Amino acid sequence: VAGIELPHKQWPELIGSLLSNIHQLPGNTRQATLETLGYICEEVSPDAVEQDHVNKILTAVVQGMNSSESNNDVRLAATRALYNALGFAQANFSNDMERDYIMRVVCEATLSPELRIRQAAFECLVAISSTYYEKLAPYIHDIFNITAKAVKEDDEPVALQAIEFWSSICDEEIDILEEYGGDFTGDSDVPCFYFVKQALPVLVPMLLETLLKQDEDQDQDEGAWNIAMAGGTCLGLVARTVGDDVVPLVMPFIEENITKPDWRQREAATYAFGSILEGPSPDKLIPLVNIALNFMLTALMNDPNNHVKDTTAWTLGRMFEFLHGSALETPIITQANIQQIINVLLQSMKDVPNVAEKACGALYFLAQGYEDAGSSSSPLTPFFQEIVQALLTVTHREDAGESRLRTAAYETLNEVVRCSTDETASMVLQLIPVIMMELHQTLEAQKLSSDEREKQNELQGLLCGCLQVIIQKLGSSEQSRYVFMQYADQMMALFLRVFASRSATAHEEAMLAIGALAYATGADFVKYMPEFYRYLEMGLQNFEDYQVCAITVGVVGDICRALEDKILPYCDGIMTQLLKDLSSNQLHRSVKPPIFSCFGDIALAIGENFEKYLIYAMPMLQSAAELSAHISGADDDMLEYTNSLRNGILEAYSGIFQGFKGSSKTQLLMPFAPHVLQFLDSLYMEKDMDDAVSKTAIGVLGDLADTLGSNAGSLIQQSVSSKDFLSECLSSDDHLIRESAEWAKLAISRAISF
Amino acid sequence: MAPHDLRRPFKRAAISDQQRRRELSLQRQAQHRRDAQHQARCLASFLNPHSEPEPETTSETE
Repeated sequence: VAGIELPHKQWPELIGSLLSNIHQLPGNTRQATLETLGYICEEVSPDAVEQDHVNKILTAVVQGMNSSESNNDVRLAATRALYNALGFAQANFSNDMERDYIMRVVCEATLSPELRIRQAAFECLVAISSTYYEKLAPYIHDIFNITAKAVKEDDEPVALQAIEFWSSICDEEIDILEEYGGDFTGDSDVPCFYFVKQALPVLVPMLLETLLKQDEDQDQDEGAWNIAMAGGTCLGLVARTVGDDVVPLVMPFIEENITKPDWRQREAATYAFGSILEGPSPDKLIPLVNIALNFMLTALMNDPNNHVKDTTAWTLGRMFEFLHGSALETPIITQANIQQIINVLLQSMKDVPNVAEKACGALYFLAQGYEDAGSSSSPLTPFFQEIVQALLTVTHREDAGESRLRTAAYETLNEVVRCSTDETASMVLQLIPVIMMELHQTLEAQKLSSDEREKQNELQGLLCGCLQVIIQKLGSSEQSRYVFMQYADQMMALFLRVFASRSATAHEEAMLAIGALAYATGADFVKYMPEFYRYLEMGLQNFEDYQVCAITVGVVGDICRALEDKILPYCDGIMTQLLKDLSSNQLHRSVKPPIFSCFGDIALAIGENFEKYLIYAMPMLQSAAELSAHISGADDDMLEYTNSLRNGILEAYSGIFQGFKGSSKTQLLMPFAPHVLQFLDSLYMEKDMDDAVSKTAIGVLGDLADTLGSNAGSLIQQSVSSKDFLSECLSSDDHLIRESAEWAKLAISRAISF
Repeated sequence: MAPHDLRRPFKRAAISDQQRRRELSLQRQAQHRRDAQHQARCLASFLNPHSEPEPETTSETE
């Protein structure tokens, strides 16, 4: 109730009356009061509570957490309430005295004899590490000691939180350092305190110790999470935070343990190595990987322990993910070892499901490293057939449902196809009937239990995904497109049958595949429209699974470009649905920018026939434009969203102006020109457009001038965009912006020369 | 007031192939949209008789 009433200032006395309970004697009243305060803080936005109340809540909560509180239930309720109240404590964390006091009480609570209190106190520390990273410097030394002790000695739920504290600090520092790296104007609001780097000599040994505490069978258990897993994950984050500095601290541990008879030591050493492969420089890592590679291949074949083999295959995958590819100068995979690597991975794909899944993963990244081979020769070509065969065999394993193995095999097959070259196009073509047959079989299956049906839908999704990748691959070259079109009718028929299932994932994958097919088929796609249209409409109505809706919007664009004006008979239905989507509060906001872009696609396809939609589409565009023009004080996420919205709106305007170009009805657009120019001017003056928006915006200026010509000449001349914005774009570093600006300049010069 | 979920991705790639398929489709669509726009503009420049005496790279007109 408070969640509803407090924001409307309808229950001003609530906090006061709750706080008056705090001094009541019965512990359960105090406990219930603190729990209620915790729930309120969780539900209500910080700006709905006055600072005076925040202060009082925090005072009550922190008092309840104090070691002088003898009732453990009260202390626990208070600690959990603080966890929820931290978001309210901005002002208090800016005050040194208040912050010191809160931190002292939290740190003391981590030492409570009661496990639940210690755990809740560490949860507070984790939340503080991300919310108040910049205030932590005075406490980090003490926190390190507290967390180290907990990781070493405390019960697992507490130790896990203690490790999470450092993972969270790494997350913060990775974000800050990324901002430093990407933007030299030093726009990061928060400076990096390099806590991880400073703690490194003690933090890394602490984490390495945890790696030896694996559970038996943790790799088979989907829900497993333990101290060894948390420690290794944290080590990986540490490596990403500090880079090269982690390597000398980890190598002795690896060397000491990698050949030990105890599987735990071998696995821990391998996991440590795999964990530090992202972050440090290739110069530092490649010499080590060159030594380790052969050892790992042997271990993957011969180690008697499945856990070690699982981690070994994963580590090989990490080597290929981060240290193999055309961007790296020294290749770790060469003519001399590629045969052996592939043999080992294919062999390992016959191992137990969890190991086979990691071997598929390694092959995925091995293929990805060759993705830039283009149409020239790929080192994978000689092995292509064998790899594809082995992956298909994996998909047919009886136990492929375990450990995500079947999914991994299809995903690897996708990557192998994506990264293939013209040399193997005929083999990719041969895959089509094979995958189509598999899909056909899933559609024929009868009388399935709900569990079997769910698995069947998942498989349909994977198979549609695989066909989509093949269509995209073969459809991208004239030669292969022509040959593969022989399968188009059959494929389309199968995709349409997938829509009979109730699985959102299967729908999404079928829709993506159809989009790719539409592009490859071109105008001939019109023959599928009578049957396909209802599924298209269904997709556009799917508010609940917004990904399906978003994908369908993209597919409408594909179809517009494929059919051009042949899409006209379907436009009333499509436009009606798109307009409904835009007006809906239910639909996820991320779908709205692509819908605007889709207006542009439709307008460009049907030209002046877009006339009848102008009275609906233009006001929508206009009001969205007004909303998106000024967003002062928005955070990064909001700015990113706003820029994608602006881009969508501008793409709509572009498509509409260009669609009407040369028609006798261009005058219909004149009434909208002042607003469009005003929108461009205000975007320019806001100075917060990203490059993509600048490029689209200056393009719209050109399209407007091109289509409206001299009729809009004086309006254009009055706009700031046609002067300052244009000249800025003409001298942009981005060649796409310059190209659009050249277009605008040309079109404007024509429009005003009459 | 449930504590937040501690679990992080364990021995998993950062991006799933499904996500990759979505992103690659979006990229393809964006590219084709750009191509269609570009083609329309080229056509406009080509068809417009006034563009002929005025090659775009050397144009001095403001």
